[in-house]
Amino acid sequence: MRSLPRIGFGGLAWCLLATLLPSSAHAGEGVLDAMRGELARSLEVLSEQDTPAYFLSYEISEERNVTIAASFGGVTARVERERRFLDIDIRVGGYELDNTHPVRGMRGGGSGRYAPLSVPLADFDALRKVLWFHTDKRYKDAIEQLTRVKTNIQVTVQDDVQVADFSPEAPEKAVEDLVEFTIDRQLWEERLERFTAPFSHSEHVYGADASVSFTVVTRWFVNSEGAEIRTVEPYVRLFVAASTKAEDGMNLPRYESFFGRSPDRLPDESTVLAAVDEMVRDLEALRIAPLADPYTGPAILSGRASGVFFHEILGHRVEGHRQRSDEDAQTFKKMLGEAVLPQAFSVIFDPAVTRAGPTDLAGSYRYDNQGVKGRRVGVIEAGVLRRFLMSRSPIEGFSGSNGHGRKQAGYAPVSRQSNLLVEVSETHSSAELKEMLVERLLEEGKEYGLYFEDIRGGFTFTGRSVPNAFNVLPIKVYRIYTDGREELVRGVDLIGTPLTTFSKVAAASDEIAVFNGTCGAESGGVPVSAVSPEILVSQVEVQKKAKSQDTLPLLPPPSASAPSQTLQWETAR
Amino acid sequence: MTPSKASILVALACAACLPVLAGDSELMRAMRDEMDRAVNELRLGEMERPFFISYLVREVTDANATAELGSVVSRSEASSRRLTVQVRVGDRNLDSTNFYGQSRGSSALARADFPVPLPLGDDYGAIRRQIWLATDRSYKSALDRIARKRAALQNETRIDEIPDFSDEEPHTYTDEAAAEGVDLDRLAALVRELSEAFSGMAHVSASEVRGSATVNRFSYVNSEGSSYVRSAPIASINVRAGTQAEDGTVLEDSFTEHALILDELPKGESVSVRARELAGRLKALRDAPHIDRYTGPVLFQGQAAAELVRRVLAPRLLALRMPVAEDARMGRFLEQQTNPFVDRIGARVLPRFLNIVDDPTIDSIDGSALLGSYEVDFEGVPASPTDLVQRGFLKTLLSNRTPVLGVASSSGNDRGSGPAPSNLIVESRDGLTKSEMLEELLAMAEERELEYAVRVERIGGSLGIVGSRSRRGGPTSRSGDGVQLGAVVAYRVYPDGREERIRQAVAVGVTESSFRDIVAASEERTVHTAPFQFRNRLASRVILAQGPALVSYLVPSLLFEDVTIRRPQGNIPRPPIVSQPPLSK
Repeated sequence: MRSLPRIGFGGLAWCLLATLLPSSAHAGEGVLDAMRGELARSLEVLSEQDTPAYFLSYEISEERNVTIAASFGGVTARVERERRFLDIDIRVGGYELDNTHPVRGMRGGGSGRYAPLSVPLADFDALRKVLWFHTDKRYKDAIEQLTRVKTNIQVTVQDDVQVADFSPEAPEKAVEDLVEFTIDRQLWEERLERFTAPFSHSEHVYGADASVSFTVVTRWFVNSEGAEIRTVEPYVRLFVAASTKAEDGMNLPRYESFFGRSPDRLPDESTVLAAVDEMVRDLEALRIAPLADPYTGPAILSGRASGVFFHEILGHRVEGHRQRSDEDAQTFKKMLGEAVLPQAFSVIFDPAVTRAGPTDLAGSYRYDNQGVKGRRVGVIEAGVLRRFLMSRSPIEGFSGSNGHGRKQAGYAPVSRQSNLLVEVSETHSSAELKEMLVERLLEEGKEYGLYFEDIRGGFTFTGRSVPNAFNVLPIKVYRIYTDGREELVRGVDLIGTPLTTFSKVAAASDEIAVFNGTCGAESGGVPVSAVSPEILVSQVEVQKKAKSQDTLPLLPPPSASAPSQTLQWETAR
Repeated sequence: MTPSKASILVALACAACLPVLAGDSELMRAMRDEMDRAVNELRLGEMERPFFISYLVREVTDANATAELGSVVSRSEASSRRLTVQVRVGDRNLDSTNFYGQSRGSSALARADFPVPLPLGDDYGAIRRQIWLATDRSYKSALDRIARKRAALQNETRIDEIPDFSDEEPHTYTDEAAAEGVDLDRLAALVRELSEAFSGMAHVSASEVRGSATVNRFSYVNSEGSSYVRSAPIASINVRAGTQAEDGTVLEDSFTEHALILDELPKGESVSVRARELAGRLKALRDAPHIDRYTGPVLFQGQAAAELVRRVLAPRLLALRMPVAEDARMGRFLEQQTNPFVDRIGARVLPRFLNIVDDPTIDSIDGSALLGSYEVDFEGVPASPTDLVQRGFLKTLLSNRTPVLGVASSSGNDRGSGPAPSNLIVESRDGLTKSEMLEELLAMAEERELEYAVRVERIGGSLGIVGSRSRRGGPTSRSGDGVQLGAVVAYRVYPDGREERIRQAVAVGVTESSFRDIVAASEERTVHTAPFQFRNRLASRVILAQGPALVSYLVPSLLFEDVTIRRPQGNIPRPPIVSQPPLSK
């Protein structure tokens, strides 16, 4: 029988220090040169065909990542990954009408996602060959699609106002410096163990995970209009999640996440440990908290909750391309120039802002995925809806991009959010906001209002074939009674429809918080931020949360060191 | 850029902190302790206790790298340790398994089959906590399943009283293998170097080399007293390339080398040679004429014969239990997926001159390495050889502890996601020489007044690396006439001995019953190794958690009387519009 060969030190799986370095061959300018050269060569021929190509762009994204995960005090996973993807945007027809024109009656308007294409960077002959190979295939797909588009226009109802399919933009040239991380893995493994160990001291915590993920995304972009851009986006995410279960089976999670552009921009260990302690306390409290009933009435949303609230109910509805899709509800299309929020409120999207207070923002970037500079967009100014987030797909009244054409590798870009900033000219203190809430309660004769302190995320529907509702998923909700008393409750989701809810936003405090996250939509996952003060809403609605039917564990937790003891415990039933 | 000296030094120092896996590790201790507690104490109210519990932990470090034209395009390495719990309630005759019901959505019951991440280190307390929670979920899921299974059976009379779980002697096993690592840098260097073979080859329009090295360490305990700790490493290199002929026809081919560890893979030059041979085959295909349709005798040689056995015959040699279905619609779905050979035990399935043996206990034969060997299977049953077919007659099927009619106990062939072969050996009495095989082929063609006969050397398939996404079709997609096999290297053989390459053909109509009518087999045999493709979707949605299982096939060349060879269906894409970029050097 075979005895398995042994491997010595040479075959060791994991070293303690990892460096996320760019590979040597593309440290120089050669990648952009090779991309430009091949782009010109292909386009020269393809622009002379019967159906000529009029625009071509290449984006290469390289993602280098190290992730470590731990659970209940022990490291559970180590992952190291490096990938390079190619995205090609080739357009046939012209700016007015091209192959990306939405095809009516086809889900998603015909813009699809391709399997991500891998791309070699170390050898420029190889790179050019791969670019050539895929460009040819994409060109053929594009001419097929243009034929479908033209047929579709003949046989379906079109908009009253015709808009172009693509906007010409000034070519940008920029080369950002490459970034490398040196990660002390041992240090981070030990930290993650320390961050998750406190959960195992609690008898009722049934899940406790932490992960840290170091990523550097380097992108090279060229297009046939002359843009040549190299951007470098490093980031670190630290995530802690834990959960417990109430006696009735309801799963009760708590999450904490931290974001920074480099490892030293994360909060220090004691800050994280303090957050972990709070999580443990919260879980113990949530487990025995009373169930909240369906409720409608005034509420306060914390800065974090309000950030998610604005992201869901406003942000997704001011993404420009939705104003053009006949499948979309187009909530705000005809409301330009109208007041949608109190005059004190402005909502700005600004990818150029990199920090809010001490916190780095995930939604920052200099150039979007179409090579357009990310610009500040005052979507709502002094309460009035002014403009939309724009990619290079024009919509009625907005012919150019404002640098919000974003995507994940392998997807076609559409207009997406960046850093959402809720700016309020007239603010109150937190205590004043609470007083205002109580005043309203007394006026309306209500026993209590709600305070949404923490939120895990949310989702919204913007299509026409479904109710245009949103659902924000709170984790920590308090009842605030008229005497000022606060009581933690569990088991509700915040729901509503966008226009109604917006008309109920009343006031804001000066307590500002940041929510850094990843937003998923038709162009994949993109990092976004929401920065918002605490807000008072005169009327919200909550519904009962979907509940797990699973029961509590039958046996008590095992003791940490000794073998099992005999029946000291009664089972939970 | 190379890692700094400092990081290499630290890496060396770290070897000392690898866990020592001798004796009962903290992991095994935690598994045993929590199992004791579960066996003695786990009970929901007045419901029944578990009668069987097993814990299987897969500790894995997995390295992957892909390169194109001398450049690494992706690389990754991941380590994890995952626990799969099985709890059975009821008794051996009727238990909570072998049931196929409605999904339980995202509830904990549905997740009970999913592997649970365990800490990688020796933290007894942290490990045990996860085992406790996973056992609890699994027990509740078993109670849920048996209740639904009994409900489904309530209005039926069971015709065949086959037990759900076989009785096996407890067995313990610990291998000697030390903890091993994988070396991502070396793997990446290997695939990068191999991918260079295609650099500068204008006739290869797309190519890719993928490498993977996986080190598995399995630890198993069950409540009957069986346990094992064993390593199961796998390394592989997959080389694929494609081109378009002048008329646009997509031509693709690939080969894969398997070994247990990276060091045992064929070294640089010998694989580079094979990569260049692959490129040569593509070039030859570009100039070869098409075949419209041929029906007649076909000789499958070497890899092609082994691949035929792997894809068509091997899946039929498994004892796959038909589970109890929750409703009639599911029952009909399950019936479509049964193995017809379960009812053929005792029948003749091959010609009388062929035998088939499955033997996990040998690791080489005729000087060729067999990679499907193991000492103990995933359910802790010791490995042993199984005579599957003797003188053409099907004697038994490869089984795990889930019996089927006619196979009451385990043959020790549970390979992680159900029964699978180990080393599948086809033996031929009175095997013919290569030239005798060809003579036989031509004689049969002559008898049928055919102008030529066909021999197939390699079976591969469309890889989708050149064909555009809309024209990608699976190589073995089932159509009306059985499995389609891409004959990537095939020849017309004329009576005068002349041979002519056939461009891109598929062999259709080969089913398990075709094997009965095999006319001749060669004395020379080929070893072909590939990961087993578990298609056992019947058994309670088992998650393929234990990784691939390598199977080595030792198969003679096989002459079939009636096989159809034809052009693949579908239109030919246009050739590239823009010429290839010129080389800079």
